[in-house]
Amino acid sequence: MTEAAIRTEGLSKFYGSVRALNDLSMEVTAGEVFGFLGPNGAGKTTTIRLLLGLIRPSAGKAEIFGLDSCSEPVEAHRRLSYVPAEAGLWPSLTGEETLHLLGKVNGHVDEVYRDQLVKRFELDSSRKIRAYSRGNRQKVILIAALMSRPDLMIFDEPTSGLDPLMEHEFRNCVSEARQRGQTVFLSSHILSEVEALCDRVAILRNGRLVEIGTLEEMRHLSALKMEITFAKDIPDLSAVPGVATLQSAGRTVSLQLTGPVKPLLEALAASEITELVSREPSLEELFLSLYGEGQLPKASGAHA
Amino acid sequence: MARRTLLGVLPSAVLWGVVFGLFVASSALSYAGIYKTQADRDSLAAAFGANVSTSALFGPAPQLQTVAGFTVFKIWLTVALIGGIWGLMASTKLLRGDEDSGRWELLLSGATTREQATFQVLLGLLGGTVALWIATAALAVATGRSPEFNVAVRPALYLALSLATTAFMFMGVGAFTSQLGAARRQAAAYGGWILGISYALRMVADSGTGLHWLIWTSPLGWVEMLQPLTSPKPISLLPIFGFTCLLGYLSVVLAGRRDVGASLIQERSRSGPRLLLLSGHMGLAVRMLRPVIASWGTAVAAVGVLLGYIAYAAGETLSKSSMQTIYARLGASGAGIKAFLGVSFLMLAVMLSFVAVGQLTAVRAEEADQRLDQFLARPVTRIGWLAGRLAIAVSFLAALGILSGVMAWLGVAIESSAVSLPTLLAAGLNIAAPAVCILGISTLVFGFLPRATAIVGYGLVSWSLLVEFVGGIGALNHWIFDTSLFHQMNAAPAIGPNITSDSWMAAIGVAAALAGCILFARRDIQGG
Ligand SMILES: Nc1ncnc2c1ncn2[C@@H]1O[C@H](COP(=O)(O)OP(=O)(O)OP(=O)(O)O)[C@@H](O)[C@H]1O
Ligand SMILES: [Mg+2]
Repeated sequence: MTEAAIRTEGLSKFYGSVRALNDLSMEVTAGEVFGFLGPNGAGKTTTIRLLLGLIRPSAGKAEIFGLDSCSEPVEAHRRLSYVPAEAGLWPSLTGEETLHLLGKVNGHVDEVYRDQLVKRFELDSSRKIRAYSRGNRQKVILIAALMSRPDLMIFDEPTSGLDPLMEHEFRNCVSEARQRGQTVFLSSHILSEVEALCDRVAILRNGRLVEIGTLEEMRHLSALKMEITFAKDIPDLSAVPGVATLQSAGRTVSLQLTGPVKPLLEALAASEITELVSREPSLEELFLSLYGEGQLPKASGAHA
Repeated sequence: MARRTLLGVLPSAVLWGVVFGLFVASSALSYAGIYKTQADRDSLAAAFGANVSTSALFGPAPQLQTVAGFTVFKIWLTVALIGGIWGLMASTKLLRGDEDSGRWELLLSGATTREQATFQVLLGLLGGTVALWIATAALAVATGRSPEFNVAVRPALYLALSLATTAFMFMGVGAFTSQLGAARRQAAAYGGWILGISYALRMVADSGTGLHWLIWTSPLGWVEMLQPLTSPKPISLLPIFGFTCLLGYLSVVLAGRRDVGASLIQERSRSGPRLLLLSGHMGLAVRMLRPVIASWGTAVAAVGVLLGYIAYAAGETLSKSSMQTIYARLGASGAGIKAFLGVSFLMLAVMLSFVAVGQLTAVRAEEADQRLDQFLARPVTRIGWLAGRLAIAVSFLAALGILSGVMAWLGVAIESSAVSLPTLLAAGLNIAAPAVCILGISTLVFGFLPRATAIVGYGLVSWSLLVEFVGGIGALNHWIFDTSLFHQMNAAPAIGPNITSDSWMAAIGVAAALAGCILFARRDIQGG
């Protein structure tokens, strides 16, 4: 029954020989907060501009609430708002005038909510855009996107330039939006933000989708970190399936485990253990491993 | 940094130097052709020489019966205004423009202080004016050797110097206002005010109202008093150099006192909301265009009234001169006031074409700066947005055409009632036709090669202009002559507008604009 807020099918964009986005197929369900991650140049902004119909796909298609991004952009845009990574605004307008203008263009604005947002983000809206700092400009477009309470909000690095307090305020806004049933598509480099907000995450690298799923699912895919301190001798664990990067210091062994835990437990059964610490990888470690391991497949992929 | 600046100004300095030199050559040599007999020359001197309105507008005309007097009278003000604007633009660009774009911070993170850096830029700019002077001087000296002009080397050098002084002074003005304004545009605007005020001051001084001493308060007045060739007064080089050195010194001092990117005059950065016109993309476009509308409107009105005003006298002398054949080749056949007005409206047509291209470069800038994304990510169609901008541009062009007709009529009406309002209104609308054509072609280019919009648009206008004038001298094959859009337009009011070719130009413009809109709707939005 749940409707797809965003759906792409084989979506691709090539700039000459540069494959900015290659064959992306995914779905974002209405009502979820979806994180979109990847290293610089992975194709995140390209995807978002394709979703908005600002650029044309080389292949495939994108739909917003079932409306084609290319052929029915206006209908699609009535239901969404967009925060670009870098805003182009009119330097001679004040913040208030800008919000007024963009509200008129949107057609519907929750004015009470807008004024509330101006207060919450501590924006001095009587100043001219020219006189704003970068963070304050970012606040203007954030408020402009939030104030119409659309069904879908697409954010491209929305908090770049915001101070920690304002970033916290942004998180509150996204949480409220989720409670109201709005869909959020969030591209960000701030992993703690994504970890705190997102139900599901997709990871892009070199224009390809490498992972998609909930954070839980992703953690299972990656290694579990363990530190085991033995009372006496250290058993040989290198042959145990799933165990990698063994390091020992004194009686303590650090290892990484992928896959089921049972073989390791069986191998440890005979030994006397004084301490066992196991830790799930943080999102950051997850991404460092995922981004980093890109080097090899990319090199071999170039020849394929 | 001095070398960097010099390289930055050198091309335009040499270009304008050559243009100024050509002004000298062409007006010196054409005088001999137009005013052949002493009687012609005396009547010219009688018509303009003691005329207060002429001297208020263009400066005094002491010796119009000589080639030298006529040449100086004819070109000094044009050169002074162009030179002043060029000086302002060059210095605000290299001082303030580079600062605004953050390039200064890179240079300053090296060992130089802000004072030193500013001083170096000023040295580079000085080099630019010297280059301009040398280029003008070379042509002036060469022209001086011709028997008609017959000017020795030293007076020719002094003539070139006097022509270079306004550029020199306004480089100083630009350097100074670069310290005052919050951005380059504002620095240039302050400088423009200073240029306008100094023109107004010397106009009052020359209007015969007993306020002649005011001439000493005006930078353009000092230039006027140099009076090369006729009765040179090198004494007024003193205030010129003194003023410029003072401005240069103040710029260096002020540059050291303020922060990079800051201004001494605080812009009103805070204001209550003015929501006028802010109801959508078209309203915003009109609001953003207001300064452009105001300045082009003033320029077209002023040129229209001036040309209308001098048309009567100019038309009288024209009917007796060989210029008439040149005018006829430009399409302004017939004699007298109407032929003169025909060529005048050609100049206004060129202005309107520049306005047309300017509209499209503004459209492209909106896309390149990603302001367009704000609209297109909302419920606004691409075609609706572009068509709105084009509608505004066409209305603006039509309004400017009508304004030029009305103002020219007012100018003519001061002296005579030789040309009727409807005739001049038709001439005004006539010049909108090539402008609409160029607007359409620029839109087409914007539709498939957005980054080339400005180059192709301005290139087309420049080509048409060049062909028109080279063709006017009679040195062109008619196929090439026909590629000039201005040649396709009849030189109304010398002859009636050619409705067929005007309609063709408008139709080509509309078709190209439509194609441009469709292509724009299908392409990628491209940032800068
Ligand atoms: N107009 C363009 N022409 C050519 N190549 C482009 C263009 N736009 C993007 N690219 C290329 O496409 C790739 C993806 O760019 P994109 O901007 O989508 O990355 P991103 O994931 O948003 O990166 P970042 O995290 O730095 O914002 C890059 O290699 C970029 O160089
Ligand atoms: Mg990006």
